[in-house]
Amino acid sequence: MQRRSFIKGFGVVLAASAVVPVTMMAEEAKKAPVQSPNKMNIDSAIKAITGGKALVPSSKIEFKAPEIAENGAVVPVKITVESPMTKDDYVKAIHILAKKNGNVRCTDIFLTPANGTAHFATRIKLGETQDILVIAQMSDGTFLSATQNVKVTIGGCG
Amino acid sequence: MQIATALGLVTVAGGCAQAVPGKNPANVGLKDLYDFNAKGKLTLLHMCDLHAHIKPLYWREPSTLISAPNLVGTPGFLCGEAFSKHYGLEPSSLDAYFDTHTDFEALANKFGKMGGVAHMKTLVNEIRRQRGEENVLFLDSGDTWQGTGVALKTGGEAIVKVQNYLGIEVMVGHWEFTYGKERVKELAEMMDAKFISQNVVGNDPFADEYEELIFEPYTIEERGGAKIGIIGQSFPFTSTANPKEFTEGWSFGLRLDTLQEYVDELRDEHKVDCIVVLSHDGFSVDQEVARQVNGIDFILSGHTHDPSPQPIVINDTVIMIAGSHGKYIGRLDIDIEKGKVKDYEYKLIPIASNIIPADPEGEKLVNELYAPFDAELNEVLGKTKGLLYKRDTFHSTFDQLINDAIMDEMKSEISFTPGYRWGTTVLSGGDILMDNVYEMCGITYPNVYTFELNGAKIASLLEDIADNVFNANPLYQQGGDMSRLGGMTYDIKVSGKAGKRISNILVGGKALEPERIYSVSSWGGNLQNAGSNLQTEKIRPVYDVTRDYIKRQKVVNVSNESNVRILDYDCGCPVKGKMSC
Repeated sequence: MQRRSFIKGFGVVLAASAVVPVTMMAEEAKKAPVQSPNKMNIDSAIKAITGGKALVPSSKIEFKAPEIAENGAVVPVKITVESPMTKDDYVKAIHILAKKNGNVRCTDIFLTPANGTAHFATRIKLGETQDILVIAQMSDGTFLSATQNVKVTIGGCG
Repeated sequence: MQIATALGLVTVAGGCAQAVPGKNPANVGLKDLYDFNAKGKLTLLHMCDLHAHIKPLYWREPSTLISAPNLVGTPGFLCGEAFSKHYGLEPSSLDAYFDTHTDFEALANKFGKMGGVAHMKTLVNEIRRQRGEENVLFLDSGDTWQGTGVALKTGGEAIVKVQNYLGIEVMVGHWEFTYGKERVKELAEMMDAKFISQNVVGNDPFADEYEELIFEPYTIEERGGAKIGIIGQSFPFTSTANPKEFTEGWSFGLRLDTLQEYVDELRDEHKVDCIVVLSHDGFSVDQEVARQVNGIDFILSGHTHDPSPQPIVINDTVIMIAGSHGKYIGRLDIDIEKGKVKDYEYKLIPIASNIIPADPEGEKLVNELYAPFDAELNEVLGKTKGLLYKRDTFHSTFDQLINDAIMDEMKSEISFTPGYRWGTTVLSGGDILMDNVYEMCGITYPNVYTFELNGAKIASLLEDIADNVFNANPLYQQGGDMSRLGGMTYDIKVSGKAGKRISNILVGGKALEPERIYSVSSWGGNLQNAGSNLQTEKIRPVYDVTRDYIKRQKVVNVSNESNVRILDYDCGCPVKGKMSC
């Protein structure tokens, strides 16, 4: 049957997005732990991204994550931000934050209008049940957000 | 109630029914079970959660079924008197015996054992005769291949042979997956029925199956002159509820977005007349699915083992669930006109083995399947003084017996037994057979692990399990009951916030110390992964541990007093909107 159709287009978009994933985290990891942004609490991490501007919860961000993680070590997340992606109106960056992780900043993805669409999928590691926050930095200087709770459980019920 | 409905003795108003006097439901006969207010041409037969019980058994429904306050007393969270009241059951009737725990032992002596595939087959044959072979479709919501010794010892094959005999045509799965990926595929090949699932997808980037559906997501069947689209929904939380090793590389989940796509595809491209979701989501989760996905005509649910005498309707979707352990067949007649469902009629038919005669062919098949294992399975291990049962939200006697056995052999301070909803019931004074022990714990990962955990970790694990059972949002529930504890007692505020429900934990009568290391045994879950100092020399299958203990005891006498104190509910079967009965 239509075994392939359900992921149709997804792989293509991912390949076309010139994403810059996790390199920043690797850099940060080398620094001394006390000063590292990895150790920031969620409020300072948000402030470091927004410079103190308000987050605007927005339905323009389509954020998909499982309600219950099958494996906390690799939780699949998909983000699409509605945007024309033109020179005057595009998504500059997508940030994924896990509020209760030791390192709250999971991923920072930087985009240009050449990406065509603001779509990104990855897997993040979650230490425990928590809210995942997505921040989209728009070219007009605003910051949109979306959030979802993901449950990480040892399971065992049958 | 379902029998009374078919007899036209009941007036239904606002989802609750009032039985009208006139006939004593205790005198129910075969004709009453067969009787049905037939509609249209098409009949769907539905079975769920057989758990490999091919022989008749006793099965007592829960005496405690507690949930978050917003869900209490709603279908899926009803038991005992609250259940009888909601569905208008006559006290001491056959339905009261099948659907509730009330007066269980007295009624068991009166009505006898429940289920059994040979009895089920007689009913199915009769319905096929009444309706015509070409108009009937038999669907199975899964948890069929696992649950008894004969299933375990044949790697599920005995049960597939039974499904072929019964004439099952489509199925989905959950415990099926605990035979491992390769075996699931082998058994699916042996089976006449189609195994479908829209929510099982490859997630190993190095496998050919990556991001591919593992099974066909749906099937289109033509019966009664109509095209029926059936979409499969296997248990969404298989990889967290059961060991990951069995399904490594397969991802589950609810996947409601693709479910909606398949509904639309069946309707728009394939022009089906009726859309059925064959599901193992659980009754409560499927009510949420019906709210979020549009265009489903019927959800035939499973997993949570609820007998639901009446369907419920949410967002124009009709949801039914047919109990467990082969106790019932759901019959759904559908009247289809101009490509749409015009009307339907449903009856949950109890398989009363003393009323519905056994099909001789089925008895022969069951005997043949059991024959190689009869010597082991029929061994009498001992006797029980009181009733041994499984279902309850917190505590049950058969689970307590298993915990007693584990602590006696392993010399651990605390024992965890999983809150599965399958098992068996042994009447007071009855023999305990080895078959009964497998009925309680016959799984493909039977090992009892003994390891160390500190007090703080034990408390947080308990909170974690409680949140899987009592979350106010059905989508975050996994559909089991609380783990059963040996050596430990606690208080719980079910309506409390996640992580804040449990208090007053005592181990051996003394307050749990967060820093202290405790020796813990567990089986059937993942708790050993959270512990340290695993004692590998002690690892043994739980059914062997339990067998040896019962043999040593000769007569077991298990207390029916719960080791959990519920702080916010007054009774085990509260009614809607209340914290009491």
